[in-house]
Amino acid sequence: MSECPSSMPDPQTPGPLHGIRVVECGHMVAAAYAGKLMADLGAEVIKVEEPSGDLARQRGPYPGNISHPEKSGLFLYLNTNKRGVTLNLETAKGQALFQRLVKDADVVVHNYHPTQIASLGLEYEALAQQNPKLVMTAISPFGQTGPRRDYTAHDLTMWSAGGIAFLGGAGGRPDLPPLKAAGQQAGFQAGVNAGIASLGALYARLSTGRGQHIDISVQECLVAIMENNYIAWPYDQTTPSRLGFRLIPQDVLPCRDGYIYVLAVEEHQWQNAVELMGNPDWADTELFQDFFARSVNWDALKALLEDWLQDKSVQEVYHGAQKRRVPFAPVSTMGDLLKSEHLNARGFFAEIGHPEAGSLRYPGAPFKFAASPWTLRSPAPCLGQHNEEVYCGQLGLALEELQSLQATKVI
Amino acid sequence: MSEQLPLSGVRVADFTWVWAGPFCTLQLAHLGAEVIRIESESRLCVTRRIPPVADGQAGPNRCGYFNQYNQGKHSICLNLKKPDGLDIAKRLVAASDIVAENFAAGVMDRMGLGYETLKAIKSDIIMIALSGYGATGPESPYVSYGPAQVPMSGLASMTGFPDSPPMSVGFSYGDPNGGLHGAFAVLAALMHRARTGEGQYIDLSQWETSVALVGEGIMAQEMNGAAPQRMGNRDPYMAPHGLFRCQGEDRWVSIVAADDDEWQRLCAVMEKPDLTSDARFATLADRKDNEDALEAAVTDWTATRSAEEATRTLQAAGLAAFPAITNKELAEDEHLRSRPFFATLEHPEVGVRQHAGIPWNFSDTPCHVRRPAPCLGQDTEDVLQRVLGYSADEVATLKDNEVLT
Repeated sequence: MSECPSSMPDPQTPGPLHGIRVVECGHMVAAAYAGKLMADLGAEVIKVEEPSGDLARQRGPYPGNISHPEKSGLFLYLNTNKRGVTLNLETAKGQALFQRLVKDADVVVHNYHPTQIASLGLEYEALAQQNPKLVMTAISPFGQTGPRRDYTAHDLTMWSAGGIAFLGGAGGRPDLPPLKAAGQQAGFQAGVNAGIASLGALYARLSTGRGQHIDISVQECLVAIMENNYIAWPYDQTTPSRLGFRLIPQDVLPCRDGYIYVLAVEEHQWQNAVELMGNPDWADTELFQDFFARSVNWDALKALLEDWLQDKSVQEVYHGAQKRRVPFAPVSTMGDLLKSEHLNARGFFAEIGHPEAGSLRYPGAPFKFAASPWTLRSPAPCLGQHNEEVYCGQLGLALEELQSLQATKVI
Repeated sequence: MSEQLPLSGVRVADFTWVWAGPFCTLQLAHLGAEVIRIESESRLCVTRRIPPVADGQAGPNRCGYFNQYNQGKHSICLNLKKPDGLDIAKRLVAASDIVAENFAAGVMDRMGLGYETLKAIKSDIIMIALSGYGATGPESPYVSYGPAQVPMSGLASMTGFPDSPPMSVGFSYGDPNGGLHGAFAVLAALMHRARTGEGQYIDLSQWETSVALVGEGIMAQEMNGAAPQRMGNRDPYMAPHGLFRCQGEDRWVSIVAADDDEWQRLCAVMEKPDLTSDARFATLADRKDNEDALEAAVTDWTATRSAEEATRTLQAAGLAAFPAITNKELAEDEHLRSRPFFATLEHPEVGVRQHAGIPWNFSDTPCHVRRPAPCLGQDTEDVLQRVLGYSADEVATLKDNEVLT
């Protein structure tokens, strides 16, 4: 398609959020991903870390599996294009400095727990008094109100509280527990929701001239995405689970050199898949005559498909199926993705050097803007890397004041 | 004066269908945009055809899937194969700020609704295409379904038990995730337009938005040439970290002890003083080395309790725990109702149903679901007359000519 943007953006072109000033604080994924989404589209994001650093720095992956706070792959990925300062929000001086930082900001996004907000000086009313145009997006496990407001949580417990864990896992194995998705998925979902809400409030501000506070519950973000599984209760009083019947004939099946995801929902897709398999006799039987029969008899069908796949390569089956408009897909490993001809042709991975972690390829633009591109301008900040630049250069502190703040462990 | 919502006055010509696209435009509707879905009787959205259906009675307006993800939107029926239908679509674009579509790459061009055409009609139009593979690249013509995104993104390869094949996550995760990233992108483009006056085309690949969720896996591969292994519900930096069996059929509670101190507190709550001094569990490294025994010890405690009781007891001690809850429990949950999270809407065909609502509470311009999901084509006449300026007679003629089907 000729009208599509070229894959290599001109770094001189400002992103769509050029001129938006964001202050981000908290730990781990949710606030950081919201900050990253905005930073990667051109917003000026200042990441405020406690002097001991974002807890994401204490999680790997690390090069050579050796822990190092500047080399966490999770932290490096989540904090591209931001400037980083340290600040102890538990001190009065720290809170005063935070107020100065926020005075000219458009957005504050944080994921401190509701029980910490008052003691960290993060109450919206106080900050809005000196900056009524401030948008403040607060992410918390269960929201800022309600009987479970104070509950503590991690990604695993949120995936459970969102009702999604109950859906995942091994069908036919009631002895095994529900299964969490890999990584920090609750955090990512809350992060993208926080990004949407923050921009929504900025757009509202164009007409109202006022900022506002946004309360985001991670649990609600998850209940909102669970396909038709939540709504099944209000509509027909059924409860889907990992152990229940699945209407869709689909699975991950082994090939010679990896796994392929097989799916053929439409009749013509199934017929084309049969053709790809060389029209075996079994495909003609009543057992597999339609979509419903193939769902009911999936175990039998799966064994036949496995037999066909065992000496094939993933790529051979994938491209062969897709040439016949059958939506099979490779079960990618991370290595497969980095080598993918398609993703590389789109310029998806973006490489940048970091003073401690070196030069690495990162996942790049998840969306391509024709007029105002996503860019990777700078790597994640080292802890306190921009203290002088922000506190002296931007807020006008004297160098001696900075040193005194350092000595008293405010920064 | 009508109430102020974040996207008041923004109109979306919504050509999307199935899930990723409608989930993108749902966010815009939640924020107050006027979202007009272009539908067709001859090409019914999949989500109007599949379960759950209200009270077991099928029908295009009775499906929970559609009614959940199209709250607050409008629906018009257009036959885009007729020149008059295409003309109406173009007039709608001329009256809109945003065009959204999630067909395979190139389909909108072939229908005569490609970006260059639409830009000529409305110079500052923002158009988002949410395709599986993106609009460019050698695999862009390939067919993609949302459930394939979990395997394609590599999320499946890292999800599962250590001895199991790669596993799904229990639902078509790539769809809502693509839709949410799409909504974020559209909002960024609106901010850009507000600043520069310029619209633009956004090419979103669901594959890429899914890879964005496994960034640390990509980094691990880059750093060490290997990705994290499948490890069930376990975590390399915290133990115990899992779902533990409770009283009752298929009841489980998730429990995390983030560090040594939390492990000691967990032992105290479980009233197992012998565990506090058990050398097998003293440090994180010890607990990781003896994780089967560790999990068995925790299960000893959970198995004699309900998941709710275990949760209350652990949370009272400041420890992270929550039952793996079901949709029924969500629907009846007092906390969610108190927020209030649910959108309880009266729909002309299915009556009052409690839908999942908006997960953001705005203090100044509170968002709320303004109307239930539309019945098929319920707004055709209204949109043609009120938005596009057709007369009642013209609409009648278009109807006679089977343009509005």
